[in-house]
Amino acid sequence: MTRHFRELSVAGALILVLAALAIFAPGFYQPQPLLSLATREAPTLVVACGMALVIICRQIDISVGSQFAVCSVSAGLLAAQNTPTALVGLAAIGIGALLGAINGTLIAGLRLPSIVVTLATMVTWREALRLQRQGAFVNLPDRLQWLGLSQSSGQWVLVAAAVALLAALGLAMRHVAAGRFVYAVGTDAEAARLAGMRPQLVTFLTFVFMGALTGLAAMMNVAQSPQVDPKSGTGLELKAIAAVVVGGVAISGGRGTLWGVFVGLLLLACVSPALTHLHVEAYWEKAIQGAIILLAVVADGVRTRKTDR
Amino acid sequence: MPAPLLELRQLAKSFGGARALRGVDFDLHAGEVHALLGENGAGKSTLIKIVTGAHQPDSGTITLEGKVVAGLSPAAAHRLGIACIYQQPALFPDLTVAENIGLRLEPGSALRRVGWRQRRDRAVRLLGQIGANIPPEVEVRALSMPEQQLVEIACALGAGARIVIMDEPTSSLTQKEQHLLFSVVRELRQNGVGVIYISHRLEEIFALADRVTVLRDGQSVGTSAVSEINEAALIRMMVGREMTQIYPPGESAPGNVVLKLRDVGCKASGVHAVSLEVRAGEVFGLAGLVGAGRTELARILFGLTPADAGEIELAGTRLAIRSPEEAMNRGIAYVPEDRRRHGVVLEMPVAENMTMAVHRRIFKGAWLRFGAERSLALDYIRDLAVKCSGPDAPAGSLSGGNQQKVSLARWLATKPQLLILDEPTQGVDVGAKSEIHRIVRRLARDGLAVLLISSDLPEILGMSDRIGVMRGGTMTAVLPGNADAHAVMSAALGQTR
Amino acid sequence: MSENSRSRWKSLLLRHETALLFVVVIEWLCFNAIGPRFGTLDNNFDILRHTVEIGLLALVMTPIILTGGIDLSVGSLLGLCAILFGKLWRDAGLSPFAAGLVTLGLGALAGGLNASLITLLRLPPLIVTLGTYSLFRGVAEAITRGADTFTNFPASFLFLGQERWLGLPTQMWLFCGVAVVVWLLVHRTTFGRSFRAIGFSPEGARYAGLPVRSRLALVYVLAGVVAALAAIIYTARLGQAKADAGTGYELFAITAVVLGGTSIFGGVGTVHGTLLGVAAIAVLNNGLVHARQPREAAGMLTGALLLLALSAGVAPKLWAAWRSRHHASPSPAPKST
Repeated sequence: MTRHFRELSVAGALILVLAALAIFAPGFYQPQPLLSLATREAPTLVVACGMALVIICRQIDISVGSQFAVCSVSAGLLAAQNTPTALVGLAAIGIGALLGAINGTLIAGLRLPSIVVTLATMVTWREALRLQRQGAFVNLPDRLQWLGLSQSSGQWVLVAAAVALLAALGLAMRHVAAGRFVYAVGTDAEAARLAGMRPQLVTFLTFVFMGALTGLAAMMNVAQSPQVDPKSGTGLELKAIAAVVVGGVAISGGRGTLWGVFVGLLLLACVSPALTHLHVEAYWEKAIQGAIILLAVVADGVRTRKTDR
Repeated sequence: MPAPLLELRQLAKSFGGARALRGVDFDLHAGEVHALLGENGAGKSTLIKIVTGAHQPDSGTITLEGKVVAGLSPAAAHRLGIACIYQQPALFPDLTVAENIGLRLEPGSALRRVGWRQRRDRAVRLLGQIGANIPPEVEVRALSMPEQQLVEIACALGAGARIVIMDEPTSSLTQKEQHLLFSVVRELRQNGVGVIYISHRLEEIFALADRVTVLRDGQSVGTSAVSEINEAALIRMMVGREMTQIYPPGESAPGNVVLKLRDVGCKASGVHAVSLEVRAGEVFGLAGLVGAGRTELARILFGLTPADAGEIELAGTRLAIRSPEEAMNRGIAYVPEDRRRHGVVLEMPVAENMTMAVHRRIFKGAWLRFGAERSLALDYIRDLAVKCSGPDAPAGSLSGGNQQKVSLARWLATKPQLLILDEPTQGVDVGAKSEIHRIVRRLARDGLAVLLISSDLPEILGMSDRIGVMRGGTMTAVLPGNADAHAVMSAALGQTR
Repeated sequence: MSENSRSRWKSLLLRHETALLFVVVIEWLCFNAIGPRFGTLDNNFDILRHTVEIGLLALVMTPIILTGGIDLSVGSLLGLCAILFGKLWRDAGLSPFAAGLVTLGLGALAGGLNASLITLLRLPPLIVTLGTYSLFRGVAEAITRGADTFTNFPASFLFLGQERWLGLPTQMWLFCGVAVVVWLLVHRTTFGRSFRAIGFSPEGARYAGLPVRSRLALVYVLAGVVAALAAIIYTARLGQAKADAGTGYELFAITAVVLGGTSIFGGVGTVHGTLLGVAAIAVLNNGLVHARQPREAAGMLTGALLLLALSAGVAPKLWAAWRSRHHASPSPAPKST
């Protein structure tokens, strides 16, 4: 009970928001808009899963938005050349992993602080993309739409894929040794070294994995629109970090679960439709996101200060 | 006789200028508990770190079951069955007990499945073997220090370690936990494990150990079977040096009471009901074992962990000290124990370190005055005979003793009423050590009240006008300055006989 | 004696700042050779004008990084302050001068939010300023509803950003003023001393009786005030205030500071190094435009430059560690590798 206190309190907040919506804006509960909302958030969920791993490992990655855009545009360009869809997906994941490996090399290999490294790669990839595309969208062939399925089944497939990935990863983080290594390194890298792990390798691989998931998310994004915006993914890093922090993953590493991240993301995803339904202007979304991040870290900060005493 | 499990020959190790080990011989047989005894700074922890592969010796050999081992790494030591239970266990605080044990013991690929039930059962079994009543699913951060040590022992047990090093395992255990631990150690011995047992408590050594080796100043002074030696002889071996060093004569003419404590305590740091008086012009020595609460008392007086009980009086005024700034402004100076982390800022020049506590006094209006700073630094460099290339040399480039003098100069510059020195000569070479002693004497003669915390018994005996002995977070005895080593050591060890 | 002065010259030449100065000069000469209009006085004033805001942010980022911290929110705060300034002038009817003063106060308040979360709750600066990075920009967008821009400022106000005064672009005088103040603060007062001590060793600074919390609070509040000043200058230069003002400026500021030789781990660094770092980036940006390269290339190069500067900063340490490991290792290294 106390172990999952954090996750449960977020779930409680989610239920409150849902209840408020049920009372004041019952229009929110319509199957089709809800499915669309879930489909839009599916890529974010995939990225948030990766971000959870990175933060559990006591690092941070703010370059995911740019990685996402690079992967999306690359996938789009490949698809435009009639590459088979499966190959496009693999390429997006591979490119993501490569970008993650660059971050990982600088952070784990050269032991540079992840915040500055990923700040630099964020801008570098974003500007390189702008330079290459000059703002031009990539038009996608029709067969990529919804992976060649009908819209509604395509939507179901994307949402199911994201949730299945979360479930698999959630189980793996608990039941596969490698997942426990990430927790161990995030808790205390020196103790991990003494216990025979290789903390730098774990950190490196976590960033590679983050990149690969970003590539996957990009592919899921490409599949649901007729064009690729080279500006896509702007601000994605903040959404992902917000979901992770709100979901109870400690920014100081080593603590938190993917289930919490899932609930955190649901809560955040409900905020902006809730705002529209409750007649608050959508322009407040970013501000509210920032405020929620701050609230979550303040709450955790107050809580750890109390327990430390 | 079979080859010993572990044999160390003439191990030596220096850190910077300080020689931590200067030729240590030690051996350990299977099924033996071999106690290692020595004052703080005698080189015990360095020795352990070499055996566990954390440090490499400068010279000397390590032989494991007849085979010479070179370049021992932590991983190799682990593989060879060497386990160490540190005072501060290296566990993962955010993870559960079962997982902590699991992560240490489970070999195999990173992609293997984690058997949570198996982990749980193993934790229950291992903890049960040592009779520890710790639920396996709690997070380690929620455990007390002794409980964490028991988890470490369970890990060592599970790893099938053949050499187990215990670094003062009982310093924080209750009576019951201690009995439990003893039976665990006896069991290990029965199973042919060699145990290196480090402790200050003589009664433990006599109850538990087969042999005992005494370390002093980084050298092994002697090894003896426990059955062939008595407590008095052991204490003599430990303190034996007292004749070899000449301390400056004390000519105490104590003045007014500068510091007066009445039942001072602080729950968070485990200090309670400390009463004492320190007068101007006297050196009040504070003796005791590691963990007796001496540094914690100093931290209370310097406002780092403010007191929550009792009264503190400074020069006749009652006051509450809530922060280092406040302590400083009241005329309390603290030269901390951990010189490299707290005493000086290694990367900054000598001069900047020396003026760091007197910014407000010498830099009027916050403007740096490099001339004034330089002349102050030069004064103290001359006065305390600091060996450095000049006031601009980074403090980190100095030897330990000279770093200590820089730290001392920083606090003398504040013109304090009360100077607290915490292990001022630890890890300092002999020459600098006696210089520091002469300086402390001179300061007392000039009317400063000095509170000297030291684990170096001869230093306490040689320097103090009065000696307070702490044990278990409180003051257990105040002895006159001419007390003998045996009396102080006995009080510190809690010997009533 | 001559031995001594020679070694002093040598150490001056080997300094990071000296090397950077050469880089800037060479950069300038190269672009001057490529772009025909690059070397003109007008263009150089243009470089200065465009650099002032980022330069201001880099100046106040220097003490923050010296203490071992970071502030990701300065760019967003610039945007927020620009909007607030416009709002105060247009909707609250204040004169530009009064609106400016109030904006500076609001900047201090926003910096104070960062400062109090970091010092009172001891939260890591990284996550606190990441949160306010989003919060400040979000509030700016909310106030303008994403579309509102403030224009038609009086000429007397635009003088600050678009005209010259005593031969220099007007805002240069303000910039020089702030540069001198920050330089004095960091290099000539006990405050700067404390910043460096905190950056090297926060615990060591506490044990020396330094007021660690109030010093940390100072640097973040200062960053807030100067970000507000940068916002006013930005508005005056462009003649308009929009919610996206200063997007990504935090990266340029951090890059300039790190390029200028300040260690990202705290303790080491100079304000004049930062100024040279700003110059290097500014000349690069403007020069690339004159060399008919797209503007995005400059942003890309800035990011790459930051990574290069960071890597160069740790390279000697890593090299030494690698060497010592290979020399100390008693077992011979496998030949195949």
